[in-house]
Amino acid sequence: MNTISHHLTDETLQEYAAGVLSVSMETLIACHLTLCPVCRARADMADAIGGASLDSEQTAALTGSASDILAMDKTLPTIKPAELPPVAAGLGVPKPLARLLPGPLAELPWKSFGPGMKQYNLSPQPRKEGAFKLLSLDPGSRMSKHTHEHRELTFIVSGAYSDELGQFNAGDISDLSGDHHHMPHVVSDVPCISLIATDAPVKFDGLFGKIVQPFVGI
Amino acid sequence: MDAELLQKTKEAEEASKALTKRMRENLIAIGKNRDEAAFQDLYEHFAGRIKSFLLGKGMQEAIAEELTQEIMLIVWRRAESYDAAKAAPSTWLFTIARNRRIDYLRGNSRIEVELDDELLEVDDSAPTQAEQVNLAQQSAVLETALNKLPQEQRQVLHLSYFRGQSHGAIAKWLDLPIGTVKSRIRLAMQSIRAELVAEEIE
Repeated sequence: MNTISHHLTDETLQEYAAGVLSVSMETLIACHLTLCPVCRARADMADAIGGASLDSEQTAALTGSASDILAMDKTLPTIKPAELPPVAAGLGVPKPLARLLPGPLAELPWKSFGPGMKQYNLSPQPRKEGAFKLLSLDPGSRMSKHTHEHRELTFIVSGAYSDELGQFNAGDISDLSGDHHHMPHVVSDVPCISLIATDAPVKFDGLFGKIVQPFVGI
Repeated sequence: MDAELLQKTKEAEEASKALTKRMRENLIAIGKNRDEAAFQDLYEHFAGRIKSFLLGKGMQEAIAEELTQEIMLIVWRRAESYDAAKAAPSTWLFTIARNRRIDYLRGNSRIEVELDDELLEVDDSAPTQAEQVNLAQQSAVLETALNKLPQEQRQVLHLSYFRGQSHGAIAKWLDLPIGTVKSRIRLAMQSIRAELVAEEIE
């Protein structure tokens, strides 16, 4: 079953392929790619453009040689990629997110920031670096209208919300760039849990937004 | 396109195809038989380009050299995991270099899809034809498509892949609105995809 109807943009997939995005953006993208073969194929093309560009890149002078590598092979231990945190089984979320969670979604130490709205912060970074968090919004709740300086990615973990761009269901991703104002409201009869990453703090439009902003911090 | 230019494009495409084929055979020979001559040939084509890629992203000479050696060692050791049906050799090396650089700079791995994820959705949604192009077989077409792009689109792609800049930083650098940078990237991706699809249908 695949019900994905909102995808990543080519621009975002290109930046992902170029390797210039933050860990939080990469995590959201990898969550969506896990569930979306269409975007996976497009991400492969973005990688292939990087490969083709490498072929036509200039050559820098080297001090080492191929035989140095073969000699290194005999002496150097395996180069391991940086280790990933362990993943708890059966959380029902894609592994890139599961690795960041201490337990099931229902048992996280959520913090309330308004009626029917709570959040779980995933980012140790200060807020000026952008947000990275899970939001849980009860059925019927509505976020204030807001916009973003650069980019906001939202991956729907469960439930559904709707905004000017349509309805977003589990697995969908909302890939918004700076100029877009939106006002999501929850349309599922279960809470809508989403994973959010921004490049820069969100700007809320109205007064209520300005009041909650310090607490929401997205 | 006039006849002469068309001929040149054809020749470049043939040369690029031959190179890709040779590099693919090299990788397979290394993976199967630890073929040192094949590695030598692969190294000569890619190592200097990978170092140039790292230098372009602002890395110091000595670190770029060391990381290039490490990347080539990874290539030598992991060649048997190269899947010729999935990606061109240049793409495989590009992703290894990119990921190793990220590991080095951040101290944590690039976050990617994990192929053993029980939630991994495979394909019954039948990706549309546009997404079904065979990237491994079509790297020469892709390269031609890349070279055919307007200069302003090639420039932003190059700054992104090879200067390691975000679209926001590129916009500042070129003194353009960020929307212009994003739309150039988008148009470039669309044109390349269209060329690949056209070739697939032929």
